[in-house]
Order: sequence, then structure tokens, then C-alpha cells
Amino acid sequence: MTEFMLNGTPVSSASPEDTPLLWVLRDELDHKGTKFGCGIAQCGACTVHLDGTPTRACVLPLSAVAGRQVTTIEGLASDAGEALKAAWVSEQVPQCGYCQSGQLMTAAALLEANPSPSDDEIVNAMNGNLCRCMAYGRIKAAVKVAAGRGEGQA
Amino acid sequence: MSRLAKPDLSRRRFLAGAVGGSCIMGLGLALPGCSPRSAVESLAAARPDATFAPSLWYEIDGTGAAHIFITKAEMGQHVGTALARIVAEELGAAWSQVRITHVDSHPKWGVMVTGGSWSVHTSFKALSQAGAAGRQLLQAAGAAHLGVPVEACTVADGQVSAGGNSVSFGTLVSAGLPEADLSAEALDALPLKAPEARQLLGKPVAALDIPAKSAGEAVYGLDATLPNMVYAVPLLPPTRYGSVLTRLEDGAAGSVPGFLQTLRIEDPSETIQGWGLVIAESLPAAWKAAEKVVAEWTPGPTAEVDEAALFAEGARLADDPAEGVRVVDHGEIDTVLAGATKTLSAHYRTASALHFTLEPQNALAHFDEAGHCHIHGGNQWQSLILPVLSKALGLAETDITLHQYALGGGYGRRLFGDQMIPAGLAARALGRPVKLVLNREQDSRFDCVRSPSVCRFDAALSAEGEVLGIDHGVAAGWPTLSMAPGFLAPGLNDSGRFDSFSISGADHWYTLPAHRVRAINNPLAQKTFLPGWLRAVGPGWIGWGVESFMDELAHAQGVDPIDFRLARLDGAGPNGGDSPANEGGALRLRAVLEAVRERSGWGRSLPQGSGLGVAVAHGQERGMPTWTACVAEVAVAGDAVSVKKLWQVIDVGTVIDPGGARAQAEGAMLWGLSLALYEGTAFEAGQVRDRNLDRYTPLRMKDVPELDIHFAESTAFPSGLGEPPLIAVAPAIGNAIFAATGKRVRDLPIRLS
Repeated sequence: MTEFMLNGTPVSSASPEDTPLLWVLRDELDHKGTKFGCGIAQCGACTVHLDGTPTRACVLPLSAVAGRQVTTIEGLASDAGEALKAAWVSEQVPQCGYCQSGQLMTAAALLEANPSPSDDEIVNAMNGNLCRCMAYGRIKAAVKVAAGRGEGQA
Repeated sequence: MSRLAKPDLSRRRFLAGAVGGSCIMGLGLALPGCSPRSAVESLAAARPDATFAPSLWYEIDGTGAAHIFITKAEMGQHVGTALARIVAEELGAAWSQVRITHVDSHPKWGVMVTGGSWSVHTSFKALSQAGAAGRQLLQAAGAAHLGVPVEACTVADGQVSAGGNSVSFGTLVSAGLPEADLSAEALDALPLKAPEARQLLGKPVAALDIPAKSAGEAVYGLDATLPNMVYAVPLLPPTRYGSVLTRLEDGAAGSVPGFLQTLRIEDPSETIQGWGLVIAESLPAAWKAAEKVVAEWTPGPTAEVDEAALFAEGARLADDPAEGVRVVDHGEIDTVLAGATKTLSAHYRTASALHFTLEPQNALAHFDEAGHCHIHGGNQWQSLILPVLSKALGLAETDITLHQYALGGGYGRRLFGDQMIPAGLAARALGRPVKLVLNREQDSRFDCVRSPSVCRFDAALSAEGEVLGIDHGVAAGWPTLSMAPGFLAPGLNDSGRFDSFSISGADHWYTLPAHRVRAINNPLAQKTFLPGWLRAVGPGWIGWGVESFMDELAHAQGVDPIDFRLARLDGAGPNGGDSPANEGGALRLRAVLEAVRERSGWGRSLPQGSGLGVAVAHGQERGMPTWTACVAEVAVAGDAVSVKKLWQVIDVGTVIDPGGARAQAEGAMLWGLSLALYEGTAFEAGQVRDRNLDRYTPLRMKDVPELDIHFAESTAFPSGLGEPPLIAVAPAIGNAIFAATGKRVRDLPIRLS
């Protein structure tokens, strides 16, 4: 039995310890906002925060989260997180939307570490998150809006 | 080019009637015997009315809310918002009271397909008329309620008003609206709003699907669950077709906790060939077990096919002027070529490319107690896969319901719901709901790939370099031949049938003295894989060749590439357009080209190693053109190509949702860039080589250039936008590379090394 904190609430899983966290979140704990894209930590759709650090849940074994804090899109309630979610709407960011939970989690970790990132810092932080619809311009604009700078473009 | 179906529009009718405190309104094709009562009751009771095939249903309830049923798939284009805006505009509804519902595949909804950038174009007239017919009904009821003549009433914001008094839609519906039955003639006589009177179309709007997608709350097919379901992962054969699963044993999988069994798939429709499944209580268990089961195949006949063989076969066919279904043929091109002082010939090729929807293909299938099959998952063409599922499952189409979800990417992949078949077969075999999920590598292997293609061009030139004629052969795998052969179109002079989606773009709007287009199926491609409709389809590979070769001809003649194009975009004869949908013809393409010349500062001097290139496109089909002109600025250093900026001017006619339109243009242009420089794979040993992001590398944020996108002001009939802005990007880049370096690139993806 592996115990950890999910969005501030204690949870446990009886799955084998090598089970990727992604499937524990989605199929055992019914937190389906975190998505499956590539399975090799290259697309970012499964990004969650592990003790505040953006982490790819598709390759993270359950054993690695024992006793730690996991935050998913469902629990993204920090000031930065709320600002980002609002900016995603105001900038009309999502197209198909499938990657956006991961985009938001990566962006939230960026703004929590660096509240006023430069354009280059945004691109460097977000480059690992694939958007297959290629809504990159709006993602970047929305991060700037959430950071309190930039008018956005939508 | 051919449309999928050519309905008898004289059978159009608008039918409305009160049911359960609401007023239900529908517009569609009606057979004799159809009545408003039978039509609205069929909707309310969720049963089909065999005499009525709707293209739109909507309902106004007692609160005045307008519920618009969306049969199109939501895959990022905010289609429900756009379609609802069109109805609401003419209805006079308050936008805040408009609700949309994406519907399942119940036959009562009529034909269901989302693709081809068609949704707005093909729906606009019906949605506008359906809204206007509803407005007329409400206006008459409102006039009676207010005790004034109908002509005295205005309808806006969900109210009928006259002389300072108003009554809401909700009040009128609650009081009971009369039935309505309008013929096609009556519909065509309805007054539609003049463009300047519109209150919603062309105005900014927040897309209705975006809030949920910005909070992780949108529900995709992969998120669907049912009680007691099990998970299935496939064991894919070495070839798409013809492999035989000769051995399937549990092996060591029995030791994996949660493993249930293996299952051999026998598909009577022969769509799924040689599959096994691993069934388990969880996905991780299924994947773990899949590594331990013993599966062996006798490979199919294409197990050794590689990309080079596919290209060689395409070139062999394209090079033979006798090959191909004639799609364009005027001016005796063989004679012109034989008599020409000079000729210019070239091959343009595009490599295999993947859809790579970020949500891998999946399906959740379930049989209810009555034996009805329910399949949950995102799909773009329900009307295409239902007959296939019917054959595979041995059920009537009416015994199968596809439940729609948000699509985690469509791009044409989800036009074919083939992964639903093994899910359905497994659910019946196991007597439990089965959730089938492909992992990323399997999703790539099982993709309906954009076929490798070969274009062969032969131009006849005068001594002065004037173009006297062009012969153009295009060889590729044809999606329509495999998946929807009934939609193959007849060629000229009984030269055979062809896939119009795999030749569109070759029938361009340049006026040429002689021009022949030969549509050629590459049979080796057809046998090796399932060719797919990938975003922009034929124009995505044909535009690469046409617009690059135009550039070659311009340079051969020593003429500026924009001037060269403008000289041939004269709107002469058939290039003047022949319907409201392509009104203006080549002159509109000319206008966007002139506009992009201005915006891009064409002709300005650039640093060494930099260049500007231009290309135009007319979207997906001559019958519904979206006029685009693109300029690319590139910088080349050694073998490295960097795209600095892309300009595009787009004339799509009337813009419905400006923000959504721009988003589609942004995404499609970056797709064009991605396919030009970042994406592409190759067949190796009968399968695609690059199956995950370690090797298949779509464009990322750091690769995004500056974009300058401009929509032409227009009140012309709306066309489509999901695909057209993709087409001109790659040739504009290739032509810019030539301008920068003098090196002509003829293969996609572009590799200078």
C-alpha cells in the first residue's frame, strides 16, 4: 500500500509499486484531467507537481510518491494556477485541449518559481510540452498575461 | 471536385412543433408523408423518423433557452460555437441563452461527418434558414401576443418587440407555438439578415468549449469509463494487411497480477487483420502482460516494403503519360510538349507523415441487456464507420450507437473509427465492457498514414521561356479508395475513377494554354498501409509540387515569382468561378497575393543567406475555395533552415468567429511549417519507422516563427479554415530557400544535407 497526498488529501493505492503514477491517478483515483500522450515523458500531457516540481506522471513509479505531495490540474489552486486558468480562457488558448492540463501545470510551476519570466524563460520552460494543435502563440501569450505582463494576442 | 453526397435540395423542409413545453425545430430533407408532428415526436422520443433526414435540430424551451444540437465533432475548431452563432444570428436569440449539445450517432440526427474544412461551408445556408424560419414563427406569435401586425415587430436578444412592448421567446414557447411546415421554396424566400445588420457573425465570441478545456474538465474518449469494464491492449501484426496470427499463448503473462486472458480478433469486415488482444483489469497490467505473452505471425506480403520502394513505384507511374485518371485535360498537352522548343521537368515528393493525435486511438465498447452495442470515443465520421461496424459485429446499424466525446486531436485520423471494431468484438466475446487503448507506438503503427507521394511535372516552354502547357501526374495512396470507394469521382472521357481528395490542388486557378492532370493510385502504397486523410489531404502534398514548380518556371523565365503568378491569375473562363461558393474565382486569389506582397515587403533586400518565398493555395476544393497567399522569410546557415516569419493573407469569405478563425489559421500554418521541416517518417519493413517523440518530432514552442495573419474583408459565402492555411506554407519555405541559396528543394520534409 502506497500512501501520498493528492491535492492536499491523503490517498492510498494498492497497485504494484512500479505502476506509473499516471494510471493510479486516472483509473484508480478518478482524476482524469491528467492525460496520456506518449508514455516516454516527451509530450508533457501527464505533467503533475511532485512537491511543487513539474514531473511526468507517465514514467513516475508509484513508489516514488510515497509520503509526498502530488498536485494535479484538479488541485491547481495557487494564485499562479488560478491566474493561468483565467488567462487560458481570456486568451482563448485551447484548441482540442488535450495537452492543456499539462501545459497549465508546467506554466504554474514556472510562475511559482519565477513570477515574471522573460519570453525566453517562458519558451524554455514550455518547450517540453507538445501542443499538437500548435496553439503555442496563445499559450505563450497567456503565460505572460497570467504573469501580469503583456496584453496577449487573442 | 465531388462533394460526398449531392442531396436533392428540393426536398428541404423546415418542421416545427411543440413537445413537452418546448418547441422543437428541424431543417432537413423530407420524404412525402413526413409531418411536423412525426418529425418532432421522433426527436422527443429518440427514435428515427424514416421520412426526415435533418441537417439541424434545435429546441427552444420554456425559459427561452435555445438548445442547438451539434452533429459535428469538436476537435479544437470550436465548431459548436460557430454553428450555434449562425443559427442564433438569424433566430434573434440572446447569445447568453444559447446552449450546445454534441449528439450521439442516433439515426435521427442524419448524416454525420466532420472533415474537409466543410462544417461552416456546408451548414451555413441550412443553419441560417433554420434560424430565420424559427424567427418567423416567433415573430408571428409575438405579434399576436402583443396585438400588433407582424410587420411592426422586431426580433432580437430573445425578444419580440413592437412599440416599446416586448415578449420573450420563453413566454411565447410556454404559451405554445403553432406547428410550422415550410417548403424549400418558402425557405429560399425567407429574408436573411444583410451582412451589416448582423449582431453575432464576425463579432468576437468566447468559444463555448474553452472553459472546460482550461480546467482539465473536458471529457475525451480516453476518459470514458463504465462499471465492470476491463482493459484491452492490442498485439499488432507486422503488416497492416495479410498477417496471420499463428500463435497466441499466455506464456508468462499469467504471473502478472490483473492479467485476465488473451483474445484473437476475427473481424468479418476484414478491416482489422491479424490482431490479438491482451485483456487485464488495468492498463498497466495489460501492458506488462503484453510483454510476456507469446504471439507469432506469418507476415503479410508487404513485410519488406520500404519508403524507397513506395517512391519508386509512384515515380514509375507518374512518369508514364499514359497513366492516370484524367482530371484536367485541355489544350492537347502531348502535342504541345512534343513541339516545344524547351521543356522543364521535375519530381516533387512528400514522405510518409503521421497524424500523431496526442490522445491515442481508443474505444470503450459495451453491449446492453437488449444486445445493443454502445461505443464510446471521439469520432469524425460516424456515418462511415457504422456500416463497417455493422459488418464486423453482424448487427444492424440501428443496433449500434456511437457516443461522442471531445477529440484529443482529429486532423483526419478520427475520420476512421477502425479501433472501435476490436473493442466491439472483444466486448461481445467477454460479455463485459472493454476499453481498448493503443499505446503511442501502436497508434503510430496503426495510423492511416499520409501517403508518400510523387508529383511529376513536364512543362513546355517557348524560346522566350513562356509556359505553353504543363502535364502533371500525381501518384499516392488514396484514402477514399480504401475507406469510402463509393465516393470516388469519375474522370474525364471515361478514364476511370479517382479520389478527388488526393488530387485537389492540381486543378488550380492559373490559366494555362494547355494543362493535363493525371490522378494515379500507387497500388503498393494501397497494399502496404491504410492511406489516410491527413489535415489538408491532397492539397497538402500537391500544393508542395504545384507551387514549387511554379517558382521554378518563374525563375526559368527570369520573372519575379509573384508577377509570374499574377499574370496567370486572370480569372479567364472557368477560372472566373462558377457558383456563389467560388464567386470571383482567380481574381480573389490574385487579391490575396497582392495583399501579401504588400504586407511582407516583397522585394526588399535581405542579408546574405536569407530569402523570401511565396506560394498560393485555394484550400481544399475548387468548389469551396479558401483563397490564401503565403510569404516565408528564411535564413539558411549551412544545412540549417530557420523560418523567421510567415505572412499569410486569407480570403475565406464571411468570417463567422474571428478568434476561432485566427486560431485555425495559426495552427494550420504551424502544421504546414512542421510538415515542411520537423515531421516525416518512412516505411521500413512494412511499417512506419518513427513511432514516438524520440524520433517523430513535431514543431515545439521554440520553433514558432513570427506570424502575420490577415483576413480579407468579405461578405462572400463562407468557406472553411481548418486546413487551407496549411497548404502554401511548405512551398513558400522551399521557394524562400531557393531565393536564399539558389538550391531547389523538391522533397518534404526539407533536408539540405
